[in-house]
Amino acid sequence: MSLATLTPAKPPLDRAVRPAREEVYTIGNLLKVFGEDKPYVALKNVDLTIESGEFVCLLGASGCGKSTLLNLLAGFDKPSGGQLLYRGKPIAGPGKERVMFFQDANAALLPWQTVQQNVEFGLKLQGLPAGERRARAEECLTLVNLAEHRHKVPSEISGGMRQRLQIARALAVQPDVFLMDEPFAALDAITRRRMHEALLEVWEREKRTIVFVTHDIMEALTLADRIAVMSVGPGSRIAHVVEVDRPRPRVPGDPELGRIYAQLERLLHGPAGEEAGR
Amino acid sequence: MTASHAPSPAYRGRRAMPGPGPGAPTVVPRRLTAAQRAVARRVAYVMASFALAFVGWYLISHYVAGPFLIPPPLAVLKAFGPMSESGQLYSDIGMSLSRVAVGYTAGVSVGLLVGLLMGRIKSLHDLLDPMVQITRFLSPTAMIPIVVIWFGIGETAKYALVFWGTVSLVLINTIAGVLRTPQIRQNAALCLGASEAQIFRLIVLPSAVPFIVIGMRLALASAFVSIIPAELLAADSGLGYLLQQSSLLLQTDRIFVALVTICLVGFLTDQVFHWTTTILLRRYLAVPS
Repeated sequence: MSLATLTPAKPPLDRAVRPAREEVYTIGNLLKVFGEDKPYVALKNVDLTIESGEFVCLLGASGCGKSTLLNLLAGFDKPSGGQLLYRGKPIAGPGKERVMFFQDANAALLPWQTVQQNVEFGLKLQGLPAGERRARAEECLTLVNLAEHRHKVPSEISGGMRQRLQIARALAVQPDVFLMDEPFAALDAITRRRMHEALLEVWEREKRTIVFVTHDIMEALTLADRIAVMSVGPGSRIAHVVEVDRPRPRVPGDPELGRIYAQLERLLHGPAGEEAGR
Repeated sequence: MTASHAPSPAYRGRRAMPGPGPGAPTVVPRRLTAAQRAVARRVAYVMASFALAFVGWYLISHYVAGPFLIPPPLAVLKAFGPMSESGQLYSDIGMSLSRVAVGYTAGVSVGLLVGLLMGRIKSLHDLLDPMVQITRFLSPTAMIPIVVIWFGIGETAKYALVFWGTVSLVLINTIAGVLRTPQIRQNAALCLGASEAQIFRLIVLPSAVPFIVIGMRLALASAFVSIIPAELLAADSGLGYLLQQSSLLLQTDRIFVALVTICLVGFLTDQVFHWTTTILLRRYLAVPS
């Protein structure tokens, strides 16, 4: 697997103090074909390894198969070929250790339940007693700064709050992995920035593995440890993996980030397509 | 009725509105709020609509059709007096309502149950849907002859006809509600560890509520539409029977009493249904999806 490492190979500090990393996802030679009569090859030869505690962004143009890959990681869909392992085992279906976030929070949340009930929903499914549910929901709501809105229903809070509510709801079931499908793409720029800060705060505290799909280079640079750049479909694959070994919070003035930005720009839009920068 | 207590709610309504802030000067003009004006406008139009209907009715009765074919409003009111006093009208209303209640309850129960199953189980849907699509063109009226042979002219026949007039409406709308449940919502629940049964009970059923309520409301109107012909042709009580008897005796004023009664009873039942569901199911109905 080729890693296009852009920074000199010195171990970053925050990496060194983290506990030993395990492979969360092992993806090898993955193939996904849709349809039988007129098959469409969505993904081909996808290779990627995602380690525990890592923040990985899948970056690519619209229709390149980012969401398809994420659906496979969640277990909503089955691969047509190749290897896809979650902690060493094939994925049988969706499970609460791999929680998906959706851009359309209105559809994802339960509009007839309060903020608090939405967070408790996953715990209720597990049959947790009410007291324990309430305590954990409270904790998660506090973590995303929603505690004071707990008695409202989703339609009474803003779009950004709804996305924070999705985060709280996922945190409550204590998943291993967050799978995020352009969760902030529909938000305005300012709210989006706040969401990035909130997400990074949660991530740094909780040390979950995050796989985050985006088509926005800046967003990927703000968030990710590693950025997997996907080639344009059909038959898209992960053309490059770019490491972003920069401290957070990342500031736009960082010249190193500027270099990576230019590199990513070339990879995404360059004339030579997926082979650029090789 | 609106004008009598207009000033005070207008005052309160103004102050309840989100104002420009504590520091801003609070000028309270003696005007209705936009919401109150909208309600007042609606009430005014409803009144105007009824007034227009009565005037039109009177004019046609007086100048076009004559008071025998179309008895004027006042004559209808006069005919209403003795019918009300004898209690005959109310017992007919009661009979019709009880038939509607039984047939409607049965129709809603079966439509809801089968609709939920058909919405969730694709093979069942594909198997039963053609039957539904074909048979829904048989109105309850078309079914009267055969139903009378099957069940006689007793109550069962009336229940069966109202059932027939309600079940497919509830069924079709329930299926639509189940199928329209956002896939994202179901996937999100799967991620949180929901089982198939939990998804059905906690996600699909609540998401389908708006559609089910629409189906039930349409079916309620259909129940009233269904019971009258059934009583016209084969009954010895009920509003349809009243229509039939009055027609035989050429009592057009009594016919009009019965017609107006059907309108009012249907309208009131619908309003009760509408407001009950709006209040009880508010959470599920106010869904932006």
